[in-house]
Amino acid sequence: MPHFSNKKIIVLLVSTVFLVALIGFSLSNRHNATLPEQIIKDTVGFAQSVAAKPTGYITGIYSNIEALLNTYEENKRLKSRLENFVVLQSEVDGLKSENKKLRELIDKEDSLRDFQPIHATVIARNPDQWEEKIILNKGQVHGIEKNMAVMTAQGLVGKIIAVTPFTSEVELLYTKNANYRISALVQGGKKDIVGAIEGYDGERNELILKRINPSFEVEVGKQVVSSGLGGIFPKGILIGEVTEVTTEDFGLTKMAYVKPSADFSMLENVIVAKRDMTAIDGSDGDGTNVNLTDPPEEEEEE
Amino acid sequence: MFIRLLIPTIAVLLFLFEPLLAMFSPIVIGEQIVFLVPRFLILYLIFIAIYYNRKRAVLYGLFFGLLYDVFYIDIIGLYSFLYPLLCFIAGWSVKYIHQHLVITTVLAVMLVASMEIALYEFFFLINFTPMTFQMFLNNRLIPTIMANLIFLAMLGWAFKYLINKRVLQRAHNGA
Repeated sequence: MPHFSNKKIIVLLVSTVFLVALIGFSLSNRHNATLPEQIIKDTVGFAQSVAAKPTGYITGIYSNIEALLNTYEENKRLKSRLENFVVLQSEVDGLKSENKKLRELIDKEDSLRDFQPIHATVIARNPDQWEEKIILNKGQVHGIEKNMAVMTAQGLVGKIIAVTPFTSEVELLYTKNANYRISALVQGGKKDIVGAIEGYDGERNELILKRINPSFEVEVGKQVVSSGLGGIFPKGILIGEVTEVTTEDFGLTKMAYVKPSADFSMLENVIVAKRDMTAIDGSDGDGTNVNLTDPPEEEEEE
Repeated sequence: MFIRLLIPTIAVLLFLFEPLLAMFSPIVIGEQIVFLVPRFLILYLIFIAIYYNRKRAVLYGLFFGLLYDVFYIDIIGLYSFLYPLLCFIAGWSVKYIHQHLVITTVLAVMLVASMEIALYEFFFLINFTPMTFQMFLNNRLIPTIMANLIFLAMLGWAFKYLINKRVLQRAHNGA
């Protein structure tokens, strides 16, 4: 063993105490970066986005080759769907114009569905993977704010948990964070059924939709979308498909397993949804990390 | 001059390279999801600690650990403690072991494995992961060790070659 003098032991003790204090401090407000942290994040983020460019180029070539190999198969499949598509398109056009007319009729212009897309590139993924996080190359100056929805063309992938002027952090849907909630609804029945995406089943690789009213019948195979009632997410972003319905632990409400529609393995380009309608704080918002089951004393407004 | 700058430059490149490789993970093999965690930077720093200069390795460890904490983890003090500690242990072990490349490689990978276990214990303690130790062992630790071992087997000699060059150059200048 190395020989320790008294002075060394004191330094060791002091630094241990300092370390524990530092960890405690940064654990308590993880998602509000202080100024030096922001500066470091932006600098590293810049270097990271430069480094990500050639890699993106190489993976681009690789996926191009892969796409080329599948062309014939894909072409066959797409041709068969094309005919349906034309019919669907005309139907959508009709519905859209009808929707617009009806909205004008009732004088309601804003919709929870409207959002401005902000395109962003993934510059890094948290390499130690204890938390499912990715980092984007757009930040506050591009209009990104905390808790916004992040999606790909296939569906929702996560939400923004921290922003600095030029970068932002996204926590992915399949996080192990128990306080990660998204207000969602099951579509396709006679009536939309409201629930909340809470948590992720690691063994099944599926999301869990909880707090469903037990008087409603949820069918397997129906699509789950964001409800927009959580306050910040726009309405109608596809989350996934119901695969199984069971009752929750206490038997009071139902829960469903949802297979996410987005592919999480190689995220490169994502879209951040900035909702047009005023955002309020709800279950998607800052309330995310609040303990809802046992809430602290709140000021009451009468 | 060139080689002198090369050592920190490679550390920076490895730091930037890690998250890019992490984008390919997790991999699904059969029924299992396998996490591969790239730990290239710390392996390189361990090599520096063993073949070059312990103090410098600890300083690099502190610097990059802090960057890692701030940029990815948002918990300051985790990697900025573990990285220097690992470099310190590696530098200290020099007195007791033979500096053969194979032994160094095994030692470095073992140190990284112990770091993974320490991190698992920490994240388990603060309730970030519900993973059991058995799952951690099968899905994370063993694949990670394998991947990093392959990486080091491919590039370990290059690290050693580079660092030895620098040591020789230094001795030459000093003489």
